[in-house]
Amino acid sequence: MVSSSNRLVFGVSILLFLCLAIFPWFGLPVYFVSLLFTVFMFVTLATSWNIIGGYAGYLSFGHVAFFGIGAYTTALLVKGFHLSPFWTILSSIPAGFVAMLIAMIVGYPCLRLRGPYFAVVTLCFAFVVDLGIKNLDILGGPEGLWLKSPDLPIETIRAILFEAMLVIMMLSIMLAYWTSRSKFGAGLRAIKEDEEVAQTMAINAPLIKIQAFALSAVFPGMAGGIYAYYLTYIHTDIVFDMMISILIVLMALFGGGGTVMGPIIGAVLLTLINEGLSTFVKAEFARIIYGGLFIGVIIFLPNGIMEFFKKENRVESGIFLAENGRNRSAA
Amino acid sequence: MGSVYALLGIGFSLSWGVMKVINISHAAFGLFAAFLAYTLLQAWGLDPILSIGVSVPLLFIAACFIYRFLITPITHAKEVIVSSMIMTFGIAIILENLMLLIWSPDPRVLTTSYTSKVIILGPFYFQYPRLAGFLMAAIGVGSIQFFLKRTYTGKAVRAAWQQPDAAQLYGVNLKRISMITFGLAVASAGAGGVCMAYLYSFEPHTHSLWLIYLFLVVIVGGVGNVLGAASAGLIIGVITGLSLAFLPYQWVNLLTFGLLMIILILRPQGLFQSEV
Repeated sequence: MVSSSNRLVFGVSILLFLCLAIFPWFGLPVYFVSLLFTVFMFVTLATSWNIIGGYAGYLSFGHVAFFGIGAYTTALLVKGFHLSPFWTILSSIPAGFVAMLIAMIVGYPCLRLRGPYFAVVTLCFAFVVDLGIKNLDILGGPEGLWLKSPDLPIETIRAILFEAMLVIMMLSIMLAYWTSRSKFGAGLRAIKEDEEVAQTMAINAPLIKIQAFALSAVFPGMAGGIYAYYLTYIHTDIVFDMMISILIVLMALFGGGGTVMGPIIGAVLLTLINEGLSTFVKAEFARIIYGGLFIGVIIFLPNGIMEFFKKENRVESGIFLAENGRNRSAA
Repeated sequence: MGSVYALLGIGFSLSWGVMKVINISHAAFGLFAAFLAYTLLQAWGLDPILSIGVSVPLLFIAACFIYRFLITPITHAKEVIVSSMIMTFGIAIILENLMLLIWSPDPRVLTTSYTSKVIILGPFYFQYPRLAGFLMAAIGVGSIQFFLKRTYTGKAVRAAWQQPDAAQLYGVNLKRISMITFGLAVASAGAGGVCMAYLYSFEPHTHSLWLIYLFLVVIVGGVGNVLGAASAGLIIGVITGLSLAFLPYQWVNLLTFGLLMIILILRPQGLFQSEV
């Protein structure tokens, strides 16, 4: 039973992946490709953030730092070695690892803090990196860095980068899926419930927290690398934009933290809503509605949209009331 | 300068400490009061200090409504801090864009007849608006401290903060107290916002920068610690002021955040022991 539904999920995702993969080659307006690119990027970011924020309950408000570090690493690699377009996309891989390394170094002292303190220290970390890079002239400083765009038509470049982002997104979702099933994910959940108890249950909390933090930094780093190449111009104000950091958190929690689907739904919905609103109404009004949305969701669905779907599913699939009751009492 | 941060930070610290509500929109309310002061000054030449008399009650009432209708439903959630952050972030977005609609994104400065006047005291000289900001902030901090220590409601607030359940047993109406605390916190943000407007130019996006200083003041001072926040504000003011003398401007913020990170890692409970 379980394995067949598993296979179904697997099949559907492969199908979806293929559909999305051929999407940019239909000659649709570049706008749609760019829009989907942005959606993929935020899905990657929110899904990665979910590993540390959703499962372990450590709200990192500095994830944009890893995104920006990835962007700058790629930019420097491209500039330093005059890479061809193909190698440029591959250079986002070391960018991801640089982000991971930095996450480990920063995570070691910071992950000892809990709750809001961790949130604030990561926020500060993002600012420190942002300001540091802005003030270093070798990194472009306040002028930013220009990347040379290859001599290909814009549609082709966008399509290639689109595919790259799609792959990164799929990998990050696979990581999230693995996390939700593995002992590692269970350990993180235990930490979220009660860290002391988790530790007495022979869970090496400091170690798996750092692992989670490092893993959650890899894909944002890679996404940042691709994004840098996509924009061809990077500046600290763009790739270290605090809004991105906050949006990541909101998207994941909006969808439902600690679930695989939650951040995906949250990221897709919020990106599309933001985009849709700003095309139809004045930007300020769009933002006001956007803000109202957060308030509405948090009042009516305090644990994210996923909760709503879960309830529906349970009723539809006719799981017995006893099961329902047990889940409720567990929650 | 630091005392103004303190005034802004106290309300933030109060709502964090008492209600476990991290109010991201705190600075936005302060900014709203600053804009209100600006408009009143432009339209009727009302002195910004007097305009506090208008904006503080207004914000108090608005905050009570927000608490009653928006914050109360989420206080039962499992993680109040997280939900409140998302909620108030929504409020901040709404406020920011309302301000954009009403006042447009141009940077403003509060210019009064005495803006450029200077008082000379021995080897020091003080700019008038800075002095006014300092005095107002000192009065604000003082009155909040007085309220908490001396009045019945203030004592109830402190009781609710230490032992919410026990306080309720002793007849403290927790909901009412929380509402008043939230109202007070936001109102003090209004006063702080006007003081900030004396010192710096402001535009609808400025509140995110102020928010960072809020976190700084609260973390350094210890959550919920009024005097701690006051001293932290002063310390931060002195540090930024002094480092301006030695470092180029763009490094000052870097130093501030680096310092905050170090303080957080070494002493997360704040530099001063919580004294409630």
